[in-house]
Amino acid sequence: MSGALAASGAAPPRRRAGGFAVGAALVLVTLGFGVLAPLVVAGDPFTQSLTKALGGPDAAAPFGYDHLGRSLFHRLAHALRLSPAIAAAAVATAGAAGLLLGGLAAARGGWVDRALTLVADALLALPGLLLVLIVLAIMPGTALGFWAGLSLVLWVEFFRLTRATSRAVLASPAVEASRLLGFGPLYVLRRHLWPEIAPVMLTAAAFGAATAIMAIAALGFVSVGMRAPTPELGLMMVELLPYWREAPFALLTPVIATFTLLLGLILMAGDRAR
Amino acid sequence: MTLLQADDVAVFDASGRALVHPVSLRLDAGAPLVVLGETGSGKSLLAQALMGTLPPELWARGRVRIAEAEHDAAQPQGFRRLWGRAVAVLPQEPWLSLDPLMRARAQVAEAHALVRGLAPVAARRAAAADLAALGLGDEAGRRYPHELSGGMAQRVAFAAARAGGARIVVADEPTKGLDAARRDEVARLLTRALETGGGLLAITHDLALAQLLGGRLIVMREGAVVESGPLAEIFAAPQADYTQKLLDADPARWPRRARRAAGPSVVEGRRLTVSRGGRALVEGLDLTLRAGEIVGVSGPSGCGKSSLGDALLGLHAPACGAVRRIEGVARTAFQKLYQDPVSAFPRRRALGATLADVARRFGRRRAEVEALLARLDLAPALLARRPEQVSGGELQRLALLRVMLAEPRFLFADEPTSRLDPITQRGVIDLIATLAEEGCSVLLVSHDAALLDRTADWRMALGGHGTAEAAGRAAPAVALGAAG
Repeated sequence: MSGALAASGAAPPRRRAGGFAVGAALVLVTLGFGVLAPLVVAGDPFTQSLTKALGGPDAAAPFGYDHLGRSLFHRLAHALRLSPAIAAAAVATAGAAGLLLGGLAAARGGWVDRALTLVADALLALPGLLLVLIVLAIMPGTALGFWAGLSLVLWVEFFRLTRATSRAVLASPAVEASRLLGFGPLYVLRRHLWPEIAPVMLTAAAFGAATAIMAIAALGFVSVGMRAPTPELGLMMVELLPYWREAPFALLTPVIATFTLLLGLILMAGDRAR
Repeated sequence: MTLLQADDVAVFDASGRALVHPVSLRLDAGAPLVVLGETGSGKSLLAQALMGTLPPELWARGRVRIAEAEHDAAQPQGFRRLWGRAVAVLPQEPWLSLDPLMRARAQVAEAHALVRGLAPVAARRAAAADLAALGLGDEAGRRYPHELSGGMAQRVAFAAARAGGARIVVADEPTKGLDAARRDEVARLLTRALETGGGLLAITHDLALAQLLGGRLIVMREGAVVESGPLAEIFAAPQADYTQKLLDADPARWPRRARRAAGPSVVEGRRLTVSRGGRALVEGLDLTLRAGEIVGVSGPSGCGKSSLGDALLGLHAPACGAVRRIEGVARTAFQKLYQDPVSAFPRRRALGATLADVARRFGRRRAEVEALLARLDLAPALLARRPEQVSGGELQRLALLRVMLAEPRFLFADEPTSRLDPITQRGVIDLIATLAEEGCSVLLVSHDAALLDRTADWRMALGGHGTAEAAGRAAPAVALGAAG
């Protein structure tokens, strides 16, 4: 017998459920906290109360207070809305641009393909963080700058994946057969290209979001990203770092939140990639 | 002398269903044992059970006696130490199983050193001797697998497999996807194993290979032995109906297709030159394909058979010359059947959904699709599956159904049956012939000369150097320009 049975028997059991579910749950929990926390306990992330600086948890601030007496609970919730929102916007823009340009390069070939690939490769040669920094310096408004800079970095990945997948699919006998049967480009896009690209795109989107959140936090941590007093994960870490001895839990809150969010995203991506 | 004896070996799946019913067999030194059967007959599973290489979800029962030692088929780990030393396996597609980063001789020497335990120098010498005995000199031994021809790679893989001193060679579908010349070469290679008192167990659906090997034969179907005995006797006078059917499916035994009057010209090539990658494959070819006619095309791989068909379909621009298609007929009446049907359907879409798209495109009703399904002997349940979930024969018939929805006037069938077993192949070719009888013009590519001889109205052999020559029982409808 042969092939059919032996192959299906040897195929590894589908284990998408495991990692993907855990990752999605982690992401949902962190994002859910960001959205719901202010509704559960009313408060403001900017109100200072120096008498309570580095104080422990109480009813108005379940996670305690930072060095300026601001509620960590509310600052964390704000930070967990800000970074994912910028990341989501950047991934959406980059994904759309990457899909469009990648599809165009694969379908048209020739000089269109060469020019787009050249631009993508040139961008790839620059360190991503440096590119974001340059755009931040040019753009007014930090959030807008992050969105533009990250989009510019992230689209390359989507472009390359779309181009590679589309080239293989467009050259396949399946597409040739559809064309011989008189189906147009829209059909090829819907029935041949999209089903192949979509799973790859979801993986790239999860990785891209993780990269974006990490970049925002990293630039915040070295004090060139978001400006104080905006609550942002990296900025919160660097602000609380000098007080790690007095208030270790205060420092740990943004660290744990960042770690959980990134782990969740990478578990989602990694499991899909298999 | 008996090299391998199996008593009541059976294979079961996890749910306890028998995939191979108890089989007993004996492999003698110097006499090949051929296991013949179609895809899904359990012949490969039987061989895996005999070697202890079944996939982990399956389990076997029975006793296997190899090299004077008794083994329990239920305990595959007991077979491990036999691999390479007592039993050598010739992989299905040897050129894929060689290490691409290692020179040919080093791969054989490695087996000598690691399996047989020779010192490095002795292993190298033994490897060189092995390769020389197979007609591969020093120069070939220094090449990397990608620099070897398919036949040479096969010989290297054979030498590496046997380097451990195994007396039993197991070959599973050794001729899959090979043309006739290469098939004879493989048969000669396999027979070499017998000369030194070795044993050969060949698993195949290739009737020609079975005949070349000779010896004893076991015919299997649906996990059970249908017939067994000396191969020559069974081939001359099969006892079981199934064996008869299997033998009749050999193209060499097919009846010739009755020749019919050809209709008007459907596609014409005038002084056609087709090239790929700047190299002219077919030069200055004149041909006319008429309604109701099957034209056979043969030639070595890479000679431009597919490119010629693609040029006639308008998928590939000819370098020179012109293609004229019959006027007043939609472009969708010019269709193609692919060698690998799995790659010809959208991978992640249910087959039924794809066929429904095509039916809608051509304004066909559901009932018409169902009638075609019945006519092509396809179960409607197949439509819920995805391309890789149905057998090659079923999928090729579904591809034919899809083509028929477009009411083809011209069909380019590019080796449509080279991956199918004989009975399925016959079914598909019969359907293509029916299509021709209904007035479709067919260009049929195959590397099986007997198949073309029985099926085609006239044949054309592409030489691989831009030449084409016509052959066949009837004079070709037009003279073939053989320039170049």
